[in-house]
Amino acid sequence: MQLTDFTQFTGSCFNGEPASCACACPFGLDVRGFAEKCEKGRWNAAWKAYKTAVVFPAVVADLCPAPCREHCQRADLGGAVDIPGLEKAAIRFARKKAEGYNVPPRTQTVAVVGAGACGLSAALNLALKKYAVTVFDRLPGWGGSLRDDPRFGEYDEEFRFQFSAVKEGFCSFVFEHEVTEAELAPFDAVYFATGEGGFRLEGGKYFSGGPCAGWSLMEGIAMGPEASKVIEAFLMTGRADPILPHEHAAHCDRYVSHRGVEPAAPSETETEAGAMAEAARCMKCDCTDCIDSCIMLQHYRKKPHGLAREAYADSAAAPPIATQSLVRQTYSCTNCGRCNAVCPTNANLGAMFMLSRSDRFRRNTGPKAFHDFWLREMDFSAGEAAAALAPKGKETCSYAFFPGCRLGMSAPGLVKKAYRFLQEATGGDTGLMLGCCGVPALWAGDLERLQSNIDRLRGDWERLGKPTLVYACATCERTLREYLPEIPLVSLYRKMAEAGLQPAEPSFGEAAVFDPCAAREDSELRGAVRDLAAAAGTALTEIGGGSRCCGFGGHIQVPNPELFQRFGEEAAAGAEAPYVVYCINCREVFRTRGKECRHILETYFGSEEGPLPSILEKRHNALVLKQELLKEEWDVDFTPETQPWDALRLAIPDELREKMERTLVSVADLQEAVWHAETGGDKLIGDDGWRLASLVKSVVTYWVQYRPSGEGDENSFEVAAVYSHRMKWRGAEIR
Amino acid sequence: MDGMNWKCFKCGETLVKKAVVFEYMNRSFSHEVPVCPKCGKVFISEELAEGRMAEVEAALEDK
Repeated sequence: MQLTDFTQFTGSCFNGEPASCACACPFGLDVRGFAEKCEKGRWNAAWKAYKTAVVFPAVVADLCPAPCREHCQRADLGGAVDIPGLEKAAIRFARKKAEGYNVPPRTQTVAVVGAGACGLSAALNLALKKYAVTVFDRLPGWGGSLRDDPRFGEYDEEFRFQFSAVKEGFCSFVFEHEVTEAELAPFDAVYFATGEGGFRLEGGKYFSGGPCAGWSLMEGIAMGPEASKVIEAFLMTGRADPILPHEHAAHCDRYVSHRGVEPAAPSETETEAGAMAEAARCMKCDCTDCIDSCIMLQHYRKKPHGLAREAYADSAAAPPIATQSLVRQTYSCTNCGRCNAVCPTNANLGAMFMLSRSDRFRRNTGPKAFHDFWLREMDFSAGEAAAALAPKGKETCSYAFFPGCRLGMSAPGLVKKAYRFLQEATGGDTGLMLGCCGVPALWAGDLERLQSNIDRLRGDWERLGKPTLVYACATCERTLREYLPEIPLVSLYRKMAEAGLQPAEPSFGEAAVFDPCAAREDSELRGAVRDLAAAAGTALTEIGGGSRCCGFGGHIQVPNPELFQRFGEEAAAGAEAPYVVYCINCREVFRTRGKECRHILETYFGSEEGPLPSILEKRHNALVLKQELLKEEWDVDFTPETQPWDALRLAIPDELREKMERTLVSVADLQEAVWHAETGGDKLIGDDGWRLASLVKSVVTYWVQYRPSGEGDENSFEVAAVYSHRMKWRGAEIR
Repeated sequence: MDGMNWKCFKCGETLVKKAVVFEYMNRSFSHEVPVCPKCGKVFISEELAEGRMAEVEAALEDK
């Protein structure tokens, strides 16, 4: 992987870069940093920063046309910040000190032609570096065009003050003298700052800046430090680079959203307190929209550019020799797309994290345990629980229902009823495709598994005569659109709204529609669900700022359970009203957290009563759904595979069940462990008849403490403890 | 459960503490845990799995 593979997602981001005011500043003053110092009353530091940028503070504060103000983002929120006022305040309140550099004297000589502000700016910088500088001017003193200004007295004082830092003998002035080319010949370098239309020579050791070279007075002053650098480099290497003013733009697009910022009235800058108050109005504009919108980015406190660099560094690291720094954060992204949606320049951290996941998977450096459960679930959904059939008696169909994997697992009755509705609505022309869109593989970074799933889906779709897929899950839609763009898609909800379906039960009187992240860009889908909710008599309110991610996406539950919990809590707190959802995973997240919610399909097809199914029950639901649908609609027998341990009955206390769901441990894994221990004898026995079995399943080792329930049933056990770990042991060392 | 007197069912032996080599994320290290002195059957307690082991797993995953 190259650095650009990662920075392509953050290249447009301007976080940490100069604000719009600084972009417009001919001196490139870090206005944000300057205002911050002023706000704190750190006048000495503010003045020093200002002096470093502008060379002659008193001159520039007075004469600069202040393009910064035109680009101040405070303008519409109480008026642009008075930056020139703050500059003058810094000059007024700072304890000023003219300082030179502690460097050895140079042997070369430099002539500066023109003692105006531009020439003086270059002469000062060169003389402070201890080059022997001679300044020529045909006028009787310095100042050039400023000599006629009524405030020249102040400028003269500023020049004197700044030149007081130059050591004796490093800068001499020759006034009232028209210098000739012959007189310039002995100098090692010559800088022309002769004013608009002024005389200058070009090439070789001759340099020029300011109005005589076509730049403005402010640009000319700003060019002084740059001229000294270029001339110094020329004197050391003989290479003559062009002298250009600080890069500044009349327009820039670094505008921040400033959501929720209140207008603030301007303050005077004559007094210290007034100037500090005015500086406090500066919003220190820096775009942090993605970070502000994401609790994961806030948690890790890293900035977009740094993240891209770290992701690249991780891709180049070869653990255990070199360590990686971004593992946990990479696997803590829910891929919700919000960072991209709020970004003014279309940066996409979510896509960068997904690229990083696939890179880690390919290089085998990502922890397998993070996504192992979900990949096993995907293999089940795309394997034993999958089916692709045209309606009975037909080879092909115009539509095929693709409910997605989780809907049938959590609420199988809804899939059945929705399929029957579609059959009726399409005159019996809807087939069925049970399976998985492949997003668990995408989130795990396993692109090969994703591709083989896509190929399988494409094969099924072609076999059914390329029907329009009717999807029920926004994430399926997003994945199919991306990887199978040839498949026409329509939402189940649109079909329901078009058919004028009547609700099966009363809906909430008032509710907020909670949109799944994958539906963010899909106004059609969002509209269809709102139409259905409204048609069911629900007065809809919108969630302020839009729905937040419920935390299910990206499968962060194993790598970051705390963040998973927080995502769910924040999403549930989006509105007081109950939620109408149209993603079965959102429903599960909210029901687990006690947030009142209902899937829109429940309103139209009847609620799915009872507690949330467990991991094992979900698989069971998917298989029974397939079995019943195949029997009832196609008269085809389907017998799910059975395992010898299926017959074991485990009595598991509620708090243990809750822990198992939270840590994604299936009862089936415990049954398997107990069965192996009981049939093979590979177990530990403890006090009171307790037994301990372990089972290594893929990358996780499960332990279960159990004993016969003593009810005379040899297949019945009570469970006291369930836990797991990811390390494996190689065996006891012989010592 | 640490306090329980665990025995290996197959060998009938009381477990003894021995150094066992563990592997995770391409790194290996040894740690003393109760083991059957005869067949080498290992016992990992809930406290160990969810305490120190989980900490080390997280640290290795983050590297």
